[in-house]
Amino acid sequence: MPATDYQGSFLGRISIRRNQVMAMEPNSHEQEVEDLELFQKHVSDRFSDLLSPPSDDSSPSDPLLSIAWLRKLLDMFLCCEAEFKAVLIMDRDPSQMTRPPLDRLVPELLERVVKALDICNALCLGVDSVRNVQKLAEIAVAALEQRPIGDGQARRAKKALNSLITAMMLEDKDGASAKSTERAWSFGRRGTSSTSAQKDRTAGLFRSPSCNMAKNWSAAKQIHAMSSNLVPPRGAEASGLASPVYIMSTIFVFVMWTLVAAIPCQERNGLGTHFPVPRQLAWAQPMIGLQEKIAEEWKKKEKKGSAGLLEEMQRLEKIGQSLIDFADGFQFPVEAERLEEVKTQVEGLADICRKMEEGLVPLQQQIREVFHRVVRSRAEFLDVLDQAGRLTAPTV
Amino acid sequence: MEPPPPENNNAAALPFETAEKIILRWDSTASEEAREKMIFQSDRQEVDRYLLAVDEIQRSMSSTSISDDHNKLNSALQIAMARLEDEFRNILISHTNPIEADSLMTTDPSSSSRSISSNTEVDDEGTIADEEEEEDDDAAAADAEGDGDASSVSKGNKLLRYHSGESISVSNSSSSYRSTSSIREIDLIPSDAVYDLRSIAERMISSGYLRECIQVYGSVRKSAVDASFRRLGIEKLSIGDVQRLEWDQLEAKIRRWIRAAKVCIRTLFSSEKKLCEQIFHGIGTAIDDACFMETVKGPAIQLFNFAEAISISRRSPEKLFKILDLHDALMDLIPDIDIVFDSKSSESIRIQAAEILSRLAEAARGILSEFENAVLREPSKTMNELIVSKPSTGSRYSGDPSTPDLDFTELEGKNPLAIHLIWIIVILQFNLEGKSKHYKDASLSHLFIMNNIHYIVQKVKGSPELRAMIGDDYLKKMAGKLQQAATSYQRATWVKVLSCLRDEGLHVSGGFSSGVSKSALRERFKSFNAMFEEVHRTQATWLIPDSQLREELRISISEKLIPAYRSFLGRFRSHIESGRHPENYIKYSVEDLEAAVLDFFEGHPVSQHLRKRSQ
Repeated sequence: MPATDYQGSFLGRISIRRNQVMAMEPNSHEQEVEDLELFQKHVSDRFSDLLSPPSDDSSPSDPLLSIAWLRKLLDMFLCCEAEFKAVLIMDRDPSQMTRPPLDRLVPELLERVVKALDICNALCLGVDSVRNVQKLAEIAVAALEQRPIGDGQARRAKKALNSLITAMMLEDKDGASAKSTERAWSFGRRGTSSTSAQKDRTAGLFRSPSCNMAKNWSAAKQIHAMSSNLVPPRGAEASGLASPVYIMSTIFVFVMWTLVAAIPCQERNGLGTHFPVPRQLAWAQPMIGLQEKIAEEWKKKEKKGSAGLLEEMQRLEKIGQSLIDFADGFQFPVEAERLEEVKTQVEGLADICRKMEEGLVPLQQQIREVFHRVVRSRAEFLDVLDQAGRLTAPTV
Repeated sequence: MEPPPPENNNAAALPFETAEKIILRWDSTASEEAREKMIFQSDRQEVDRYLLAVDEIQRSMSSTSISDDHNKLNSALQIAMARLEDEFRNILISHTNPIEADSLMTTDPSSSSRSISSNTEVDDEGTIADEEEEEDDDAAAADAEGDGDASSVSKGNKLLRYHSGESISVSNSSSSYRSTSSIREIDLIPSDAVYDLRSIAERMISSGYLRECIQVYGSVRKSAVDASFRRLGIEKLSIGDVQRLEWDQLEAKIRRWIRAAKVCIRTLFSSEKKLCEQIFHGIGTAIDDACFMETVKGPAIQLFNFAEAISISRRSPEKLFKILDLHDALMDLIPDIDIVFDSKSSESIRIQAAEILSRLAEAARGILSEFENAVLREPSKTMNELIVSKPSTGSRYSGDPSTPDLDFTELEGKNPLAIHLIWIIVILQFNLEGKSKHYKDASLSHLFIMNNIHYIVQKVKGSPELRAMIGDDYLKKMAGKLQQAATSYQRATWVKVLSCLRDEGLHVSGGFSSGVSKSALRERFKSFNAMFEEVHRTQATWLIPDSQLREELRISISEKLIPAYRSFLGRFRSHIESGRHPENYIKYSVEDLEAAVLDFFEGHPVSQHLRKRSQ
């Protein structure tokens, strides 16, 4: 059926990039190739930005995997997604979706999309658990900002920071082996008599079932499933629409993987670090570069057995440990030099709390936005597939 | 409440040293004894002394300036706060379980019975409970609208129905929202415990230990809410899970979700909010809000995630009604959601609920328009698909799969809205047919169809716009269906009764006036009496709400029954009356039967013995 019959649907929109809705065959093919190349270039540019962002003294770039950086990642994802939709759906004959290779690739993409939706939900829960950690840190800041710092403040800070460190360990502990528990207890916990009480306290924060996804749901497994069948198109297919579908699929997998690595969510043990994208693809270079950096960090963290890679959380852990040491060996009054050190660290802690306070809720909102956008796009794709006369629908 | 005066000091305060001693005595990091006992489970005097001690420390802090002393005070304060935190947690934990199990199940505000011990069980996926609920709703609607429909047909009724329930007023809160009658809070913690919690909270917050307080509160109450969720049968399903399940399984889960969501919003969450207010109202700024969100945000999101997963599932025609159910239920709940989650920090929950609602509406619209397109393209194929589309169940579309009921040539030239409406009616009819099969008694299922078709026809006829859109042709079709159902009813009920009044089989020899088998005749009369009595007894309790239909059906029964009986009596009564005990066999006169027919379809049971007027 000619495209002009679809009045009122998105296909009836006139493209601003073309002069006519229905171009003649040779033109439309050239246009298509141009669109694809543009899409690839944009993707590559955006990821370059993330990998080595342009920075100057007045606005230092956001560290990798910080809250601000993740928000940029999500923004970029939304841009890519919008462009992808334009390339694939706008002004195209929907029956293309029913012909190979798209007849297989689009449903596969839609299945990946459903997994991404669950991951978004898990990530929102994860951000909540980061907020809990933030609140504990704020207690420590409140205690140690007081002058003079007395025994009371030191103990209060220590209690809060111990809970914080425990919480960061616990969150990854679901389903993990006893070995990691030992590791978790082996540092930062000298001589506190109320260890088990603390564990109970923080267990309440993190073991609460509503903080979790469905039983047996595993972020690591979801990512793994998403990256199955991720095979670059070859030969003639590579110049057609199979290419943007592959690119978008890869972006989906990468972005979800990165977010899962950074934000604590259910069952990340076994998160794969191998990225199935061939090195020779030019547009993928920045993405691969990012992925390698992050994967390296992940492997390091996995060995040490601590919580995710969110930059603020990592800094929090370091400062937290150091302040616990301070509180452990606390003697009133504190000598001036030591006090200066502590002051700097507490300021660092306060800064992290501020960044979290400013950034976590917007981050959550952005994840929700991604959720909605992805739902909407999926619905549009399903519409197109249905319109193209597929009465035997795929199982998504 | 004034504490009892301490033995040797003035009534209002403790000297500092005493206060400090008390605090240190109860330092749980310092002594075994301090860990084993809880202050707030000891006698009241102990509690009051401790609180006084804390107050003294706090008071002293503001008046001391010497650094060493200040350090001591701080230290004591921290010990006190740590202790109070543990006490707070302990009080909360010891009041977590008992009340909820009973009240959650029994205070379902959507049940039309107002008593606390209502019988709306939150059970597993039986259709029985669902029909019970529907009947309750219908009864409520009947009371409200004065319309005696025993079987609600139009989904529109649900939209108009207003759930009424009681509200339990709060003693110390000034919120006006509790005048909304569908919200129903219960007291989760007894008031003396609330008082203790409040005493602790005041002191913790005024010492700057607000965060610790909120955290303890949130973690204990959140587990309590989670436990309630489990009891309500709220499952945690991922979107992937929901996509993979068969639609019938999802239907059952949706039903369960609707029931559970009502209890959650109207009772569970609202009660938690009330508790926060009871404990934290007036202490600090918006602390009750913070605690409430800490407690319910996670569970609320978990609750809505299921509805969200349903709203994004793939569209197909058989999902329409359950999606509409879910939509209607959520729409009913939105005002309550807006009230319970009225603070700024809970905005995201209100937004999520509204988003899910609009997605559900969109899904319903999408299914309708998809069907419209399909109908226009390939009418009979689509209808067949619709009919045959459920391979795993025979419940809904168990009609004849080979012949669609709708002649699609009639649809041409109609506007889309009209087609939608007709389609809805077609689906309703399929639905009704399926439901009618639930009746074991075939006559009753025909009556069910008659009632409902008649209702639809009346409604359409009563609205000029509807009538114009749907068209008289289709109305005629439906009238035809009504007639069919009436005929089926006649056949199912009366054929065997009337067969007692036949001539055949009564004559022994070929002769006409003599040679009637008396025994066969007596059997006939007995059978007729028994059958008629049975039918009379049963069908008097059946209801045809519409008086016109009721009248018409009775007349058509009479038209067959009365002449047949009269002629039978006329021909054969002499044979019976010439034998013994004729009254055992000829029990009723024609007038008796005429009177009895008037009992039919009134919806009231009748006394067993028919009035024998002619006696």
